[in-house]
Amino acid sequence: MKEFQPSSPRSAPVKSVGLIAWLRDNLFSSIPNAVVTIAFISFLAYYIPLLIDWAFLSANFKGETEAACVNDGACWVFVNAWSYQFFYGTYPPEEVWRINLTIVLLILVIIGSFTLPKSIRLKTSIAAWLLLPVVGIALLDGRLLGLEMVSTDLWGGFSLNVFMATASIVVAFPFSFLWALGRRSDMPFIRSVSVTFIEFFRGVPVLSLFFMGSVMLPLFFAEGTNVDKLIRVWLVLIFFMSGYMAEVFRGGVQAVPKGQYEAADSIGLGYWQKIMLIILPQVIKISMPNILATFVMLFKNTTFLLIIGIPEVVQTLQTALSNSYWLGGHALEGYLFVFLVFWGSCFGMSLLASRIERTMNTDKRD
Amino acid sequence: MFNEKTIEEVKSANRKASSDATSTAFYNNPRIRGLFYQVALVAGLLYFFVTVIGNTLDNMEATGIKTGFAFLDAAAGYDVLMSLISFESTDTYARIFVVGFLNTILVSVIGIFFATLFGFIFGVAYFSHNWLIRKLAVVYVEIFRNIPLLLQVFFWYFAVLSSLPSARQSLSLGEAVFLNVRGLYFPKLVGGDLAWVVWTVLALAIGGVFYLRRWAKKRQEITGEQFPVLKASLALIIFAPLMAAALTGFPFTVDYPALKGFNYFGGVTVIPELMALSIALSVYTGAFIAEAVRAGIQSIPRGQTEAARSLGLRENKIMSLIIVPQAMRVIVPLLNSEYQSLVKNSTLAAAIGYPDLFNVFVGTALNQTGQAIETIFMTIIVYFIVNMVISFLMNRFNSAVSLVSR
Repeated sequence: MKEFQPSSPRSAPVKSVGLIAWLRDNLFSSIPNAVVTIAFISFLAYYIPLLIDWAFLSANFKGETEAACVNDGACWVFVNAWSYQFFYGTYPPEEVWRINLTIVLLILVIIGSFTLPKSIRLKTSIAAWLLLPVVGIALLDGRLLGLEMVSTDLWGGFSLNVFMATASIVVAFPFSFLWALGRRSDMPFIRSVSVTFIEFFRGVPVLSLFFMGSVMLPLFFAEGTNVDKLIRVWLVLIFFMSGYMAEVFRGGVQAVPKGQYEAADSIGLGYWQKIMLIILPQVIKISMPNILATFVMLFKNTTFLLIIGIPEVVQTLQTALSNSYWLGGHALEGYLFVFLVFWGSCFGMSLLASRIERTMNTDKRD
Repeated sequence: MFNEKTIEEVKSANRKASSDATSTAFYNNPRIRGLFYQVALVAGLLYFFVTVIGNTLDNMEATGIKTGFAFLDAAAGYDVLMSLISFESTDTYARIFVVGFLNTILVSVIGIFFATLFGFIFGVAYFSHNWLIRKLAVVYVEIFRNIPLLLQVFFWYFAVLSSLPSARQSLSLGEAVFLNVRGLYFPKLVGGDLAWVVWTVLALAIGGVFYLRRWAKKRQEITGEQFPVLKASLALIIFAPLMAAALTGFPFTVDYPALKGFNYFGGVTVIPELMALSIALSVYTGAFIAEAVRAGIQSIPRGQTEAARSLGLRENKIMSLIIVPQAMRVIVPLLNSEYQSLVKNSTLAAAIGYPDLFNVFVGTALNQTGQAIETIFMTIIVYFIVNMVISFLMNRFNSAVSLVSR
């Protein structure tokens, strides 16, 4: 009996698979496309070597002073010489371990709130987050812990940006949740107060809030009280942040299915039990990507503190650029460095946000 | 079988139960609780405001600042870098307020125009057939979205614009447009006696374009024939005023910027502060708008593109006739909030000294008069109003593009 012999499969047409097909599809699909591709590649081929040459090959890495910049490339010596100030401001170098310790604590809390066993995660991490600003301020200031006091005038640099943003969002967190609940409340007065608050702080330029913090708030305190400028700005940032986060939470509260509320009611939970045990955990989970996005916005906005004279990283950079020992015009190197630091942190956080969003999507199995 | 007595018993038991329910402790009644919370909030707020206002009045008395708006009529005594209306240092604070407001509007309009342009170009570029262009769009968005706006403003101002050549070595375009470290200079049309004729014709031509579009749409709905609206409109807008100008003997003189001493004079000058702020605002907001445009286009089902292809439309026609009009429903609300944040972000002018409302009023006027509360609130109210106008216009636009369900 004759056995059926399938003829061997033909290979796919060369024009639809492989590198050449990819090139045809993505770079040379039509004549205008090919022209664009060639122009683009020649542009890159011309400028990238120049850039690499400037940034690495003929750049200056070693040295301490302006005089060390002998090559025509970038003068990274400038960034190097000022790196302490960029990160820590004018904080006394012998006390700098406190800033480092605070940052380590911050990192530990972040890691903890993702990796602790699920049974204790929420309670422990909420408590840790709320304690963090208090511990951080006690450490950095030092008086409470019996360390040498470091006046807030000396705080500065990139670490100040990180601290201001973190401390504000942490304190704003509970407030903003209250505002979000207030906005959805049935009680007309509470609702209108919440709406006014949220819309005011969302509608006003953040710079005018900083000015309020620096020139208007002192008028509000009783005569003779002198509240530190950094604390006033912190207060203002907390208000600003709670306005924005309230809207994030409102979205989250609305996204929790109605059945969850009804189920909580039907097993006889009171309002606060229902909110704290059933709604809040789900809201935090749903809103996580948006909270991160809001945090990125806040973090970028901390640079605006420069305008009211707080020595955060951009202010430090401006000071360094106008330093009389460094008048070689290193604006490009300085800005690139601060760009990279900010871009790295913000881009990292937005990647994290989209990752959380994706992991959240997978457990929606119903 | 029902017993009269049993029914009565049940009824009375029910009545008793329900009266028990209403006689739970009054502090557990949700209505009374709600009332209590609200009264507590009112009392708290009242206490807060009374204390704050009292403290403020005390503090102001102690420093000798008079409350009120009398300072608006006083002479400002300082000059501003740039003004769209005439301004001298003897003018009042009220006039400085107007100058600053106009400068804010100017930079916002420029910023919104270019941010929209960049946003749509790069948002559509996400879907290009060319891999390099797709990646370029991603790189643009991810870089400029994630760097603080203030740094970008400084970068353009201190690193790019300040390294431009001096006036004598200006970069020039056809000896008419000059770019140097002092700013951008381009020629200005100065109208003569009959210039109004040309302007009127131009206005009529613009009105005519709207009429033409309407007529063309109606004709297409009735007959199915298309009319080359874009070409006809361009022709109308360009040739009608040119004809008018030719007939009236070209009543214009061109004022070219010219180098006199160390600087250029004449023509229109764009100061570097305005340039840096507008570039930074448009590039930064453009990245967010590009993201919005991408989200809008991605929200359109693939079937729409495939259906359009099977009808035989060309790729650019598919984008402009099928995809973008539908995507606008998603894009416009996002645009609304981006425009509003652009206006709010324009206050960064204070960082480089562009005389916008915030800079001249909350910056300088506050410093000189000490009227913190008045200046800050006047400024905040202006930003609120501008944002409400934007919101109103965008909501009108939104209802025009939103899906009409039949």
